[in-house]
Amino acid sequence: MEAARKLQVDLTVASEQPSTFEQARPDALLTLDFRDLNRAVEEACVFDTRFRLTAALGVDDDTVVIATAINRGLGRPSNTIEAVQAARDKLLQRTLLGSAGVPVPRFSRQTIGKNLETAAQRANYPCVVKPLRLSASRGVIRADDPAGFVAAVERLGAILESTCDPKGRPPLEYLVEDFIPGQEVALEGLLVDGELHVLALFDKPDPLDGPFFEETLYVTPSRHPEAEQAALIECARQAAAALGLREGPVHAELRINEQGAWLIELAARPIGGRCSAVLRFGDGTISLEEIVVRHALDMSLPSLERERSAAAVMMIPVPGAGVLEDCNGVDDAKRVPGVDDVVITAHRGETLVPWPEGFRYPGFIFARGATPARAERAVREAHRRLRFVIRPASP
Amino acid sequence: MATDLRITAEPVDAQRCKFLVDRPVYQGVRRFADRGEAAGSPLAEALFALPGVRELIVSGNLVTVVKESPEAWQVAGKAVGAAIRQALSADVPAIADRPPATGERLVSDDELYERVNDLFDQQVNPMVARHGGRVELIDVQESIVMLRMSGGCQGCGMASVTLRQGIEGMLNQYLPEVKGIVDITDHTSGTNPYFASAKK
Repeated sequence: MEAARKLQVDLTVASEQPSTFEQARPDALLTLDFRDLNRAVEEACVFDTRFRLTAALGVDDDTVVIATAINRGLGRPSNTIEAVQAARDKLLQRTLLGSAGVPVPRFSRQTIGKNLETAAQRANYPCVVKPLRLSASRGVIRADDPAGFVAAVERLGAILESTCDPKGRPPLEYLVEDFIPGQEVALEGLLVDGELHVLALFDKPDPLDGPFFEETLYVTPSRHPEAEQAALIECARQAAAALGLREGPVHAELRINEQGAWLIELAARPIGGRCSAVLRFGDGTISLEEIVVRHALDMSLPSLERERSAAAVMMIPVPGAGVLEDCNGVDDAKRVPGVDDVVITAHRGETLVPWPEGFRYPGFIFARGATPARAERAVREAHRRLRFVIRPASP
Repeated sequence: MATDLRITAEPVDAQRCKFLVDRPVYQGVRRFADRGEAAGSPLAEALFALPGVRELIVSGNLVTVVKESPEAWQVAGKAVGAAIRQALSADVPAIADRPPATGERLVSDDELYERVNDLFDQQVNPMVARHGGRVELIDVQESIVMLRMSGGCQGCGMASVTLRQGIEGMLNQYLPEVKGIVDITDHTSGTNPYFASAKK
């Protein structure tokens, strides 16, 4: 929204639940049924006849698919719906990437409640069970042996059941894939006419070896050797091409080990909202969102070079299960040299849920520094100074 | 200097940031539209001395700073915090009362206050009440509306949509004399937001 304001672009915000202002501001607010793609496109096209729409932009995994369908309905050049759906669906994504020769973990599709013992016997250990469509590593669990596999799938089944309406839902499916050892990175990119422009390559210095895969720290620029960085970028480029993505932002999670680069997941959207604040471009006044809006509207693109200083963001780990009563030490954390900001997004009284059931971080720490190591040290020190007060949740 | 002071920065956008102080800065609301108005208010003088600061609103324990420099709030905020600490550790009030108005505008702030208040009572609040929210008009200064959100709106993940797409749009439509809108809500203290904030 702020990027649109800065660019003086008229904005309509579409949501799946109606805004209380929709009737009063029919040009600015729109309700769409995100569960019904065709209907959403139809409604958007009707809206376009009243209040002209130039382009649609999604802000998360689900709305990217809707926005792409709307853009195609409006006759705008965009990705195909099949491409963004493939990016959205982990099974479809791996199938396409595997067929195209992009290195992905070996995987199989399974159904909750069916053939559990057989699947446990057939899995290669260590392995990872993961849902097909949840995001933020929710429900992703590593298993090291058959007993761990059974426990992981039962836990994932409970998570999946809690996220959908049991009435008339299809069987709940999940992926079993080989655990890929190695260091993980995240790539932020922009596709323009099929060409991948790398906006940032983030190292994830905390090992993501499981059993759960909650993110913690992103640091850019990458400290991997240039050859490894090139291999990672090439892997992401091949993955985007294999999925058929040609336009817009991409966010890819990759791993690198002695066998080379592996594509873990690729999404046709930018990094999540709060984290994007760690990225600044050109003279330091250009946000990632501004670049994405400019690209969507065919406006001239400014420099896609990230600013010179190194930057780090910590997605603050959930300190424990319970109700957040307070967070102390925020001021102290902000005083750490290099720390730009400490933002506690969880509100007092909010129930904090650790991974794999949870998917919300209680806050974020941002830092900059002359080197990646300094930026990383700053966020770690700031995090050390935070003290969360949590009481047990009522049963 | 008041070293034990707790200040929480809540950037609204690249230009605007709210600083929540753990103690009152000023009883009431005062807006400073430019450096000239800062004279006699040590905190305002100090903040306008910072590069790029162009507007300031102080309301209770909330200090809203508007700047035009490209510097990120994560950097600029430190100087703002230091200025607040310095001003609050002095023996004189950080903010002086507003001097009586001298000029005449087409629509006075008092008149505009009444009109905005009517709009809030009759249209805005019945709408946000459907989500358990409330919008309180705090003041109108120099045709700028200052408001505070509470209930379901406070800390809501869609609060900025409500503010910009809803309230600001209605003000533009019905009261074009309004020059701007400032949300002085402490959204970090909302305990019952209608929509949770984004996960990332």
